Amino acid sequence: MWLPILGLFIGLFIGFMTDFQIPDEYANYLSIAILAALDTLFGGIRAHLQDVYSEKIFVSGFFFNIMLAAGLAFLGVHLGVDLYLAAVFAFGVRLFQNIAVIRRILLARWTSKNENLEKN
Amino acid sequence: MNKKQWGFTIITVLIGVMLAIQFKTVKNTDVRDTRDTWQLREDLQNEEALRLELLKEIRSQEEKIAQYENNIAANKEEILRTTLDELKTEVGLTEKSGPGLILTIQPIAEELTIGSQVGKVTPDLLKRLLNELNRYGAKEVAIGGHRVINSTVIRDINNITKIDGYSIQTLPLELRVIVENEHDAEQMYKRMQVSKSIEDFFIENLTLDIELAENEITVPAYNEPIHMTDMKEAGKKSEGGHS
Repeated sequence: MWLPILGLFIGLFIGFMTDFQIPDEYANYLSIAILAALDTLFGGIRAHLQDVYSEKIFVSGFFFNIMLAAGLAFLGVHLGVDLYLAAVFAFGVRLFQNIAVIRRILLARWTSKNENLEKN
Repeated sequence: MNKKQWGFTIITVLIGVMLAIQFKTVKNTDVRDTRDTWQLREDLQNEEALRLELLKEIRSQEEKIAQYENNIAANKEEILRTTLDELKTEVGLTEKSGPGLILTIQPIAEELTIGSQVGKVTPDLLKRLLNELNRYGAKEVAIGGHRVINSTVIRDINNITKIDGYSIQTLPLELRVIVENEHDAEQMYKRMQVSKSIEDFFIENLTLDIELAENEITVPAYNEPIHMTDMKEAGKKSEGGHS
């Protein structure tokens, strides 16, 4: 449970410490990739809570979603259509849904725990 | 369980790195100055020259104001006359002399052009040359003894190149260019030596000789009435600074 959060902080630390920056033109792609990554992350957490988590699905989903989103943004730039909005929309909606499911599961667990405590 | 967590952790590390990079990129996107030292130095010099000019102008204007205020009654006429003279000088209605360059346009040696016609000075060539001279800081220019002012027209009328109605048919043609000071003259001389204009003239079977005048050279006054049918008086509140 704590390892992934620690990982997140380590990643942030590494990112801020290294003097690595991407050119402005690619900032769009990175932002959409981050959105995809966050979506996958919350999807993974949800799956974990629902006990349907699969490592393969998670890892492949992570990379595949990032590539799809960046590819869509790239295509959009070259077609002159803001296709990345499609990715933003899809991932945004999924993000909210996943977080809502996570919240419900956590709430349900919490209340059941309380009830158990009261019963005992 | 443990193995699951490792995959998760690696992914979160990746997400963290991405987030951090994105943060940094977004934070640092304010306009970056990409000019190098030389460009900066050049810009600074330009700005300083502009500032000097503006200061000079301010001083002259202030002096004028003071003069006006002091001698409103007494010397009105004289001041008006000096102002008029100044304006005339600025427009080009007076003779002017100073350091500068003498450019001579000549047909190239005959041996080289057997069979082809003698070169002709086209308006385009002249305009190009004038633009180049102006770019390098020419103050006053006279072409073949005719002063070039802001409203001068150079055009082709019936296959004859004319400057304000004077035809240019005889070669060699002499251009006199006056610049601000000797340093500028030297600089312009060097620049003109490598200028593309020389090649342009050569293509037309003409040579452009550039000579740095040792003494001060004089350009004649513009001796035509100036027609200003399309000009309007600028608004009173116009920002000063353009001389």
